Amino acid sequence: MSDSTQQQIFEIIAKQAKIDLSTVKPESTLKDLGVESLDAIELIFDIEEHFNINFPEQQGASFDSDTVQSLVDAVQKELDNKAAAGEGSN
Amino acid sequence: MITGMGAISPLGVGAEALWEGLREGRSGIGPLRHPDADRLKVKVAAQVPASFDPAANIDERTLPLLDRTSEFALHAAREAISQSGIDFSQPELGMRTAVVVGTGVGGETTQDEQSRRLYADNAQRVHPLSIVRLMTNASASQISIAYGLRGPTFAVASACASANHAIIQAAQMIRHGMVDAAVAGGTEACITYGAMRAWEAMRVMADDTCRPFSANRRGLVLGEGAGIFVLESLEHARARGAVILAELAGTGMTADATDIVMPNAIGASTAMTQALAEAGLAPQDVDYINAHGTGTLANDATETRAIRLSFGAHADRLTVSSTKSMHGHALGASGALELVAVIGALRDSVVPPTANLDKADPACDLDYVPNVARQMPVRAALSNSFAFGGLNAVLALKHAP
Repeated sequence: MSDSTQQQIFEIIAKQAKIDLSTVKPESTLKDLGVESLDAIELIFDIEEHFNINFPEQQGASFDSDTVQSLVDAVQKELDNKAAAGEGSN
Repeated sequence: MITGMGAISPLGVGAEALWEGLREGRSGIGPLRHPDADRLKVKVAAQVPASFDPAANIDERTLPLLDRTSEFALHAAREAISQSGIDFSQPELGMRTAVVVGTGVGGETTQDEQSRRLYADNAQRVHPLSIVRLMTNASASQISIAYGLRGPTFAVASACASANHAIIQAAQMIRHGMVDAAVAGGTEACITYGAMRAWEAMRVMADDTCRPFSANRRGLVLGEGAGIFVLESLEHARARGAVILAELAGTGMTADATDIVMPNAIGASTAMTQALAEAGLAPQDVDYINAHGTGTLANDATETRAIRLSFGAHADRLTVSSTKSMHGHALGASGALELVAVIGALRDSVVPPTANLDKADPACDLDYVPNVARQMPVRAALSNSFAFGGLNAVLALKHAP
């Protein structure tokens, strides 16, 4: 369910950024949360591993302006794509 | 003094092939040729032509000992030494010659292949020559063995700055009288499935081509190859009547000490300023900079700022080009391939272009010689390498004295 997906994503972000879960808001940018450059790439990796999805190439490249909400939306989109394609595990 | 040069690159076999290709604006970037290409996201690379025959001019007993990186290095060394006319069979000269070869990761093809056999194929045994092929010093050692060079011999590693650092190390040994000559440069051949996947994971790879300084740049294109040079003291070169290709007049080495990947304008600028100072060059004496210019968003803007910091008002009068736009990013070999370009520019009074530059970026506002080489005298030039890990190495080149 979407709420649980969002919750999992928030937890992954909080862990990567080493911040309190309550600090993570949908409108926060990754830069706001102190997630920059390599950290952003690692975050994308963690999310991909956790949900077993593959983001399109440029995801995470604009860590200055990417919001947490945009990440959640991107994850949901990939999960929906996967479900529609009837994929199991990779 | 540089008295010999040799190269293998995506533009062909030989330093002249490389230089001719660069001045013509020819691209060595093309569709990735690899058995696992369909499993890779990145579809483009700059690879040494398939027509390259590693066995040519290499003893058949030596060939099994060589990873692709060492095949490149030995070929390039052979060309450089032959061109220089230096005779290493002379008594004592072997002892007074250093061999310093830079490489980012050494024998990656061997490492990748043996790992695959061991882990994926559950091979019962690993090839016994694996260690001697993949060890980072293999190229330096093989050159030393091939030419009887018995002075200080080792590899240097600083990722994309390895070749410049190796050349600087060799030059400093000559300058301090430890040796009279050196064979130095860089080599890299790391277009393997594993390495490509690791590079993809960093999200810095272009999916179209390499467009340094262009607003629509999308990252780097991996290359491969080797460039090897013969360096000598002025006295030694003159004594034997050597033809001097160029003078390595100054060097600069700094570390950013800020971030493990993001470049820093201050660190880069300081290295350029050091090279100028050591060469006795004022900013206005320099006509050309061969940029690090990888085509990533980060490097090109930062390098532009760094050049402005070091050159002030003269920055707008400089020509700056990235030949990675044509030969790709050969990592540990890149500084060496780029030195071939600088020597060509000095010698022929032609500045090679930055290819694929089709959209100006306000953050990159210098004269990058877009797409077409420019005929103009080059009094002195810099060659920049700014590597992952914040490592900066800059060469300052002048005409032969």
